Amino acid sequence: MNEISGPVYLEEKLKEIRGDGHLDYRSQALPTWCPGCGYFSVSEGVTKALIGLGIPQHNVVVVSGIGCASRFPFFLKTYGFHTLHGRTLPVATGVKQANDALTVLAVGGDGDAFAIGAGHIPHAARRNVDITYLMLDNGIYGLTKGQTSPTSSLGFVTSTTPYENRDLPLNPLMMLLSYRASWVGQGYAGKPHDLERLIAEAIAHRGFSYLHVLSPCVTFDKTDKTYANLDLEVRDLPDDHDPADLMAAMAVAAKPETPALGVFYREDRPTLGDAMREIIARAGGEASAAAAE
Amino acid sequence: MKHNDIQIAICGSAGDGTIAAGDILKRAMARAGYKVIAFDLYPAEIRGFGKCVARVRITTEQAYSLKRHSDVLVSLDDSHAIPHVGEVRDYGAVIYDDNPIARLPEGGHMTAHVRPSQVPYGLSQRQISELATGAGRSRNIVILGYLAGLYGFPVAQFRQVIEAKFRTKAAAVTEGNLRAFDAGFEAGAATFKLDDVVLAPPAHGEEGAKTIMMTGNGAVVRGCLDAGIETFFGYPITPATTIMERLAREMPKRGGRLLQTEDEISAISATLGAGYAGARAATATSGPGLALMVEMLGLGVMAEVPAVVFVSQRGGPSTGMPTKTEQSDLNLAVFGGAGDAQRIVLAPTNVEGCYRCAGKAFELAEAHQTPVIVLMDLYLSNRYETVVPPAANPFAPKGAKTLDKVTAGETYRRYAATADHVSPRTLPGQEGGMHAITGLEHDEFGRPSDQAKVHMAMSAKRHDKLKAAVEHPDLTVCKRFGDEGPVDVGILGWGSNFGEILEAMYATQDEGIRCAAMKVVMLSPLPLERIAAFLADCKEVLVPELNYEGQFANLITGALGRPVTRLTRVTGAPMEVEEILQVVRSLAGARTAA
Repeated sequence: MNEISGPVYLEEKLKEIRGDGHLDYRSQALPTWCPGCGYFSVSEGVTKALIGLGIPQHNVVVVSGIGCASRFPFFLKTYGFHTLHGRTLPVATGVKQANDALTVLAVGGDGDAFAIGAGHIPHAARRNVDITYLMLDNGIYGLTKGQTSPTSSLGFVTSTTPYENRDLPLNPLMMLLSYRASWVGQGYAGKPHDLERLIAEAIAHRGFSYLHVLSPCVTFDKTDKTYANLDLEVRDLPDDHDPADLMAAMAVAAKPETPALGVFYREDRPTLGDAMREIIARAGGEASAAAAE
Repeated sequence: MKHNDIQIAICGSAGDGTIAAGDILKRAMARAGYKVIAFDLYPAEIRGFGKCVARVRITTEQAYSLKRHSDVLVSLDDSHAIPHVGEVRDYGAVIYDDNPIARLPEGGHMTAHVRPSQVPYGLSQRQISELATGAGRSRNIVILGYLAGLYGFPVAQFRQVIEAKFRTKAAAVTEGNLRAFDAGFEAGAATFKLDDVVLAPPAHGEEGAKTIMMTGNGAVVRGCLDAGIETFFGYPITPATTIMERLAREMPKRGGRLLQTEDEISAISATLGAGYAGARAATATSGPGLALMVEMLGLGVMAEVPAVVFVSQRGGPSTGMPTKTEQSDLNLAVFGGAGDAQRIVLAPTNVEGCYRCAGKAFELAEAHQTPVIVLMDLYLSNRYETVVPPAANPFAPKGAKTLDKVTAGETYRRYAATADHVSPRTLPGQEGGMHAITGLEHDEFGRPSDQAKVHMAMSAKRHDKLKAAVEHPDLTVCKRFGDEGPVDVGILGWGSNFGEILEAMYATQDEGIRCAAMKVVMLSPLPLERIAAFLADCKEVLVPELNYEGQFANLITGALGRPVTRLTRVTGAPMEVEEILQVVRSLAGARTAA
């Protein structure tokens, strides 16, 4: 927001937006998120990343679960599947198994991912399903109006923890690193330009990419993970950080009180699609046309 | 007297080769042209000394179930076989080892238990095996030779099946087993024949070469492959696991992809994901797995995504009896889930039906854009029947009602109203067809909406589009057997149990009672008109099924308001024909008396 230097006029902005093909990736439905919600940055970042990567809308499938973040597919003009609470990753795995040529984005919030859906994450990661998981972490249940989540801070007061949250928050980055997700990064909705670059890199990665996005809930969290607090807490990864070094990535991830932004870890290894093609070759079969990448 | 129908029960302890002997017996006899139905009983544990029973019914004409009484009992372990002496009919044979290896406790030997009405055959199983092979392990093959010698079964087919069975083992193993078979045959042929069992030659001679032995699960696999299944996601659970195991081997040979998922929820989720992306996709599970899947099935109904779910029921509720059969997941299959979520449910009644329902399920799922459940049970999954493979692939390739081209500038309406209530689909990757689908109630564009008129119209669409399924031109949705016109007793049945029902119905006819039976294959939506027409012909209606509450009877009475007589059993085993027969007799008798 501090990047805006002068006054912006609606007409000029619209001309600019129409000109860059932006609207081709936007559905006619207006987002239902609250003004100021971090998810606008993510949605903007996804749009720009797809344009930048030259991926046509009809080759993109956005799969989501349930929650504020999971409303995502309705606001994009791509293929979308708004599924059930926690089931984002298995549905996305099914889409990718059916057609490797599709770019599959899985989008969900912290409750969808790490409460009800936590059992699916290690398996999508270890199989190296070639999808991008955008995990939008606001540390609260927004759509049900403000209950504690698995990433809520200790002491956080919500409608279901009126006497303060006593459950230690999870550390998703350490979890994903230990699951051997082949791309792990962290972005912040308050830094939309960096976020856009990270989203583009996550999508371009061949294999399972996990992008953790810190994204304030402006309605139900006035005290903890706010823009004001996060602006002070976030920092860049150390200059000498080597994304091939798993233990170094672990060490940075182990300090959630000062969240680092950037690419924590990256490795190239066979995807689920590669494994399937190998199995088919070994069995002496021929891959079907749709399944050929 | 020549018999057209012989049932042999082989009983032993886990590790005796009981199931293997039954397997060779049924395959050899099927190869010789006989009709065969076989069902094994084995313990849930892999090791230990649990009881195994292999039952094989061999007939010259088509049979529909196992018989209550076996003609022959073969004991490989007297401690397990003794309780089964009672299942051998009068003048039937009991074959046991007359030279057991150890001193048995008082009453521990078969000779103390064979009834005066039965014919005992003592055979030195172990000794013959040791003489033929140098070890006692081939006792199970010795008894097969003995049966062949005693009853004049065709030897060549037995030798072929034994050779095929031990093909992967060392040549010495095959040779040893063939020697054991020959030694057993010699003993059998030389034995003085006392029982009255003589098997007539097969009715259709040559046709035997064309038939194959198959289980219900094996038929499902064949159906999936012939229907061109592309993706499968599953999680192991008895008795459905063998479907995934065989597909894991066969699908890659045809370019298909199979993934063992982390649980049943992800299995059905991925199946829906693949279905949305346009693949022919399926999963397979049992009752406990289906219980986990129903939420996602509701999403499939709401978002109108094709998916096929094979369910093989076992004893329930909860973990229940994993290796016992039951038909108690009908309610879950037909109704399970939140909201008004009608789906298609097919319940095949025999092995060939498993094949047809499996393939047709993919067509129905695509044509009606909905999840389809194929509901089986352990008895049907695991029982062997001889089937004649179809001459040509009977299943249509995929592609039902997709939209080829989206008009430029027009926003695609995924749930557009149409005459048959099925809206043309676009598939991810297709230009101009972008849309989002959701488990939320939605308008024609797929946009979330909770307006009254939208919910009313869409609820009607989701139900009305299934109505055409009951008029399927190429699938037995329901079928009547037995006497035409008005009957004293009509038997209404579904699933694996229908074989016993048919046997009982034909036996009833032989007793001069006017009787008919109807099988209902499509449990949802129900072919109500045809069921009502059948019931109108019946003075009394009997509904036998393997569950406690009478779930199918509830379904029928709830839909048609016609009272029926229930016959429910939860023994974990198939229903006995005699049980059905007795109730039919008493219903017919009560009618005549009144």
